[in-house]
Amino acid sequence: MDGAARGARPETLVALVGNPNAGKTTLFNALTGLRAKTANFPGTTIERRVGHTELGGRRAKLLDLPGLYSMSGSTPDERVARDALLGELPGHPRPDLVLLLVDATNLERNLYLASQVLELGLPTVIALNMIDLAEQAGIQVDAERLSAELGCPVVPVAARSGRGLAQLQVHLETAVVRPWAPRPRAVPAAEDCEGCPFKARFDWAESVGVSCSAGRPSTHGQRTDRMDRWLTHPVVGVTAFLGVMFVVFALIFWVAQYPMDWIDAGFSWAGAAIGDLVPAGILESLLVEGVIGGVGGVLVFLPQICILFFFLSLLEDTGYLARAAFVMDRMMRRVGLPGKAFVPMISAHACAVPAIMSTRVIEDWRDRLVTILVLPLFSCSARIPVYAILTALLFPHRPLLAGLVFTAAYVLGIGSALGMALVFKRTILPGETRPLVLELPSYKLPSLKTAALSMWDRGRVFVRRAGSIILVVSILLWALSTFPRTAPPAAAVALLEEAAVLQAAGDAAGAGELARAADNLTSQAALARSFAGRFGNFIEPALRPLGFDWQIGVGILSSFAAREVIVSTLAVVYGVGESGAEDDSKSLFATLQNARRTDGSPVFTLATSASLLIFYVLAMQCLSTQAVTRRETGGWRWPLVQLGYMTALAYAASFATYQVLRASGVA
Amino acid sequence: MAPAADSVAEWVRLDEIEPRHCGIVREFVPGEGDVDALKAMGVCLGRKVMLVRAGDPLILKVLGTRLGLSARLAARVLVEPCGGNAFGRMAAEGDGHSS
Repeated sequence: MDGAARGARPETLVALVGNPNAGKTTLFNALTGLRAKTANFPGTTIERRVGHTELGGRRAKLLDLPGLYSMSGSTPDERVARDALLGELPGHPRPDLVLLLVDATNLERNLYLASQVLELGLPTVIALNMIDLAEQAGIQVDAERLSAELGCPVVPVAARSGRGLAQLQVHLETAVVRPWAPRPRAVPAAEDCEGCPFKARFDWAESVGVSCSAGRPSTHGQRTDRMDRWLTHPVVGVTAFLGVMFVVFALIFWVAQYPMDWIDAGFSWAGAAIGDLVPAGILESLLVEGVIGGVGGVLVFLPQICILFFFLSLLEDTGYLARAAFVMDRMMRRVGLPGKAFVPMISAHACAVPAIMSTRVIEDWRDRLVTILVLPLFSCSARIPVYAILTALLFPHRPLLAGLVFTAAYVLGIGSALGMALVFKRTILPGETRPLVLELPSYKLPSLKTAALSMWDRGRVFVRRAGSIILVVSILLWALSTFPRTAPPAAAVALLEEAAVLQAAGDAAGAGELARAADNLTSQAALARSFAGRFGNFIEPALRPLGFDWQIGVGILSSFAAREVIVSTLAVVYGVGESGAEDDSKSLFATLQNARRTDGSPVFTLATSASLLIFYVLAMQCLSTQAVTRRETGGWRWPLVQLGYMTALAYAASFATYQVLRASGVA
Repeated sequence: MAPAADSVAEWVRLDEIEPRHCGIVREFVPGEGDVDALKAMGVCLGRKVMLVRAGDPLILKVLGTRLGLSARLAARVLVEPCGGNAFGRMAAEGDGHSS
């Protein structure tokens, strides 16, 4: 690096490099805290974290590179990390300084990568992390000797407890002010007599490791051995994993319920407050229904997302998540996916958004893409209100049957997701699942701070998206169901006149009832004449074979952004009023049960209800999921594939259900 | 230098050694899958590995670390069995040191 180029750069770029499981995230968080930002490396879907700190009076940018075992770049993550170190990544200059993390409990394996990084000739400081765990395991590492062998500063640290971080800071500052390339005492041979470059390098790592450490070299004590005997067992391990995930999800649904209620109440309060402040009219409707209703409907899932990532981070930090991927690998490979796809699949039952975000643990791009494509088929919590009303319509007053259908909806989601994964692997994304090669790190106590920061990070990404693309589409959908504006129907005007008469006669209760009925009629007519209503009428011929009328068509359109919106839309189109959906589900249920077509026949027959239920099990109907798929796949191609195949699948399955039931005499 | 024919005859696939026994990595059989990732994690020529749990996937111990490994990939690694139960011995010698 020449001085002129360095001088031109506004800040020092420090690359944080290390093996997976060496404690990189913990050290990064300790050095940068909440000042970190998460984004993708340009042109990739690989996550990078960037944070800022002060080093030697200069602003320094700390770039957390993906964990890698070697510079050979056998996975996309490793290639990005390697290219970033070589300065070959678009938009990323070559780092000014490398902060290389070496796990003190596993010196020889980590020195392999160290030897390759030192060869780059970049100023390097080595953080000898987990020194406390090494000492507990009876390993004494001679940091001074290691520093002499590697030709650069080596600082023993314990990132989790903060031990040694002040000293590390001093060494980093010195390296920023007076950068110099490392000068290892001996360089590993390019390859040994057997022609294997790996062997030559490991031989070097072994000789350096042995000369610089004393004590028991095994990182895995008897405790890890004992725990693994059960937790990696083909039967006990799977059972334990399902138990762990059950507890996590029970906690998610139980704990998240409270903040979800608060958020919901907060948005309701904000809507009411704006309703009081802004005169009734188009602006009020835009703010209350378009902005607050749209964004609030998505943000209500924030607690589930935060809690899920908190627990996933804790499980990963303990070393357990690697065991979960290990025990599920055999089962998942039957549908062409790796074991690592299982945790996102479980997570998708809470919400597909964090589930898709958590597919980043899957190294192989094709495996990851297939997982992303099928995740929205798992029944998320937003489907619950839809399932609840439709199962009740299917089997009113027969809770056992309704419960069975509810369960069947979940089973259908799981079965179709696994089936579609198999279809994708055999058609548009063919190829063998990447064979499992997975480090099973030693068990250790998790860091609450790391888990909290992970939760903060993911939550922030979700909120940012809700404030951008979701807001825009919510407003668009609001406009479609609001314009063109039409005058209230004659029946509503007549009811209002009657209400005025009753009010004048002192019958406030009767007047209120008539006014509410007039409001419902007005909303119903406005929606019917809106663009959304016209669209519903336009697509009705295509929906009729599924047993749907134009009102359900409006519901499908309006719930494109968030599927649970169908419930409030049905409440409006069938004349309950929006408040009816929220305040009195019995009233909505009764109205839907009594809804009639123009020929007088009931709308929600068993065949139509079953068809609509299956449509909502399989259809995309979630803008947040589409937005996150676009973000994770780097374009609109795969979200469109996802939307297309799920809509086609939902249509075909609903069509088959309705037609078969009708042919069987079930109307 | 090519290995002697009689020693090659004793080499077995990594997925065929007995649990809690060790082997020294001698050869990689060409085929599907990325063995470079495996080599970068320590399963490379001359290194001692121990089978902790048989099956698919299986668990290896190498260089003080446990690795979960697909049997399909393990079948491409030929090892020379160390002989006898290796569990205690490897822990005492230091896991995965070269031979």
